[in-house]
Amino acid sequence: MRILALIKYSMDVAEVKVDPATKELRLAGVPEKIGAIDKNVAEAAVQLKEANGAALQALCLGPLAATDSFKDVLAMGLDEVFLVEDPFAGAADGRVAACILEAAIRKLGQFDLILCGFASDDGYSYQVAPRLAERLGLPLVSYGRQLKVSDGQLEAERDLEDGLQAVSVSLPALASIAEEAYPPRRTTLMEAIKAKKKPVNVWHVEPDLGLVRNELEKLSSIESSSQVGVMIQRKQRMLKTATLRESADQLIDLLLEEKVLKGGSK
Amino acid sequence: MNSQAILVFSEDADLLKELVSGAKQGTKAQDWRIAAVGVGKEASALANLGEDVLYQVDVDVHNPELLTAALEAAARKVEPSIVLVGATKLGLEVAPRIAERLAAGYAAWATGFEVASGTEGAKVMAQSMIFAGVGIATHTFKAGPVVLSVARGIFDSRQVDGKQAEVVVLDTPLPAPKLTIHGYRPKAMNGGRLAQARFVVDVGQGVKERDDLQITQALANLLDGQLSCSRPMSADRDWFPEWVGLSGAKIKPELCVTVGVSGAVQHIIGIRDSHLIVAVNMDEGAPIFSQADYGVVADLYEFLPLLIERISARGIRPAWAT
Repeated sequence: MRILALIKYSMDVAEVKVDPATKELRLAGVPEKIGAIDKNVAEAAVQLKEANGAALQALCLGPLAATDSFKDVLAMGLDEVFLVEDPFAGAADGRVAACILEAAIRKLGQFDLILCGFASDDGYSYQVAPRLAERLGLPLVSYGRQLKVSDGQLEAERDLEDGLQAVSVSLPALASIAEEAYPPRRTTLMEAIKAKKKPVNVWHVEPDLGLVRNELEKLSSIESSSQVGVMIQRKQRMLKTATLRESADQLIDLLLEEKVLKGGSK
Repeated sequence: MNSQAILVFSEDADLLKELVSGAKQGTKAQDWRIAAVGVGKEASALANLGEDVLYQVDVDVHNPELLTAALEAAARKVEPSIVLVGATKLGLEVAPRIAERLAAGYAAWATGFEVASGTEGAKVMAQSMIFAGVGIATHTFKAGPVVLSVARGIFDSRQVDGKQAEVVVLDTPLPAPKLTIHGYRPKAMNGGRLAQARFVVDVGQGVKERDDLQITQALANLLDGQLSCSRPMSADRDWFPEWVGLSGAKIKPELCVTVGVSGAVQHIIGIRDSHLIVAVNMDEGAPIFSQADYGVVADLYEFLPLLIERISARGIRPAWAT
């Protein structure tokens, strides 16, 4: 069996600050790492590998700077990573990104199961799984939990707003992993040492994938884009008192002043 | 494609109404035609939302492949310049699929759009939330159709007019789906009316055990409020399905007290319209404190009982209590 995990090297969006004067997003220097959602994908893939026996490769579309970030997921049990250098540095339209991923998947050959996150930690636009399902003509189990493979079938639960839907599809198939569905394991020192020997292969869209940057650009449906940050004005006042009882009273006093509470005496 | 028409779909009737209303407001200067897609035998009940035509399709609303096929069939008939899809989990799967099939532009989490007539047909600009709500992007799309997914609460659902839409039964044969559905297990819903709540206790992963919700519930009860939760709790622990966040509910109470909420961006977006936010968290460095008006660094198991005791002892009530 062959499993492919799609993982993303993501920006920590909680660290994105907004310039109060210009409303500009300050993206420079924001830390990047393999996303929390993607570590759940790696865990799901490793569990399926353990249960069924499989070769487990991972694919990442991202910057060359991601090369050193795969240690953890390799230690968890991925066999090998393919990093496709993103010629658009994260700014590509979803369609363009899906086109690059599709080309890389086709080059890697036939997989029984392809896993990805329901969204990425930074883009958070839920596009990759449905777009790849369309492009690769594969059945998709979206928002999956409790994945099981048997007799050429993938069984899973889809985690929806108001319930869990039990589904199955025939392999080969694609599944997106629901939020927090597979908390990543802790790895041992031995696993970390072994991971250093596992290959991280770097591909470029030209020539490795036979794609041409200019042609990819034409696929984008966006002519131009601009962005601003969303400003949140909060008082950010920390209550500092000797005892928690005093904090409770102080908080009540403040909320009385704010007129969201009323009544009472000291 | 590229006619002066908008196609609108959501399986959620309230959200569909918001989308029809948003479609109407966004195009009223040009007087575009609005087509909605309604699913199921009862769909004709949706013919009074203000749309011009309602395409009724009788497919299993729980199967994303069938809905994609149905929406594609409607799009082939309507040839819309814009397709608005409700950003539910279903919609967020269907919308990119449709974008692929129509070779259309796509923006997830759209917050608005404008249309302008151009020589190559309609030109679409759209605003959308990016980086899980940290920013707003404005995209100008190339000529051609554009798919936008829109969350609940973005457009108001004002009734447009009382006109009855033409109902067209869409009976295009749809391909057999590859996904087989075996069953459905509903999550236990608390039935809280979060969107209307004036006081909300927002519970995060700092609350360790299910029984510990009693203490947060006690605080909510004391001030006539509701409990909500950050999404990992509801998705993972199955205690609390009504989560608040980018793709969940958005709340705008007078007072939101977060308890053990770390402050992930995807969650913050659901609470950031609160009038006042109080954060209680053990971790002084938790990002929630920069999103709060008042912060208390404390173990919630120590602080909440004290707060409850002081509120009771001082006879404090919510400002809106009669």
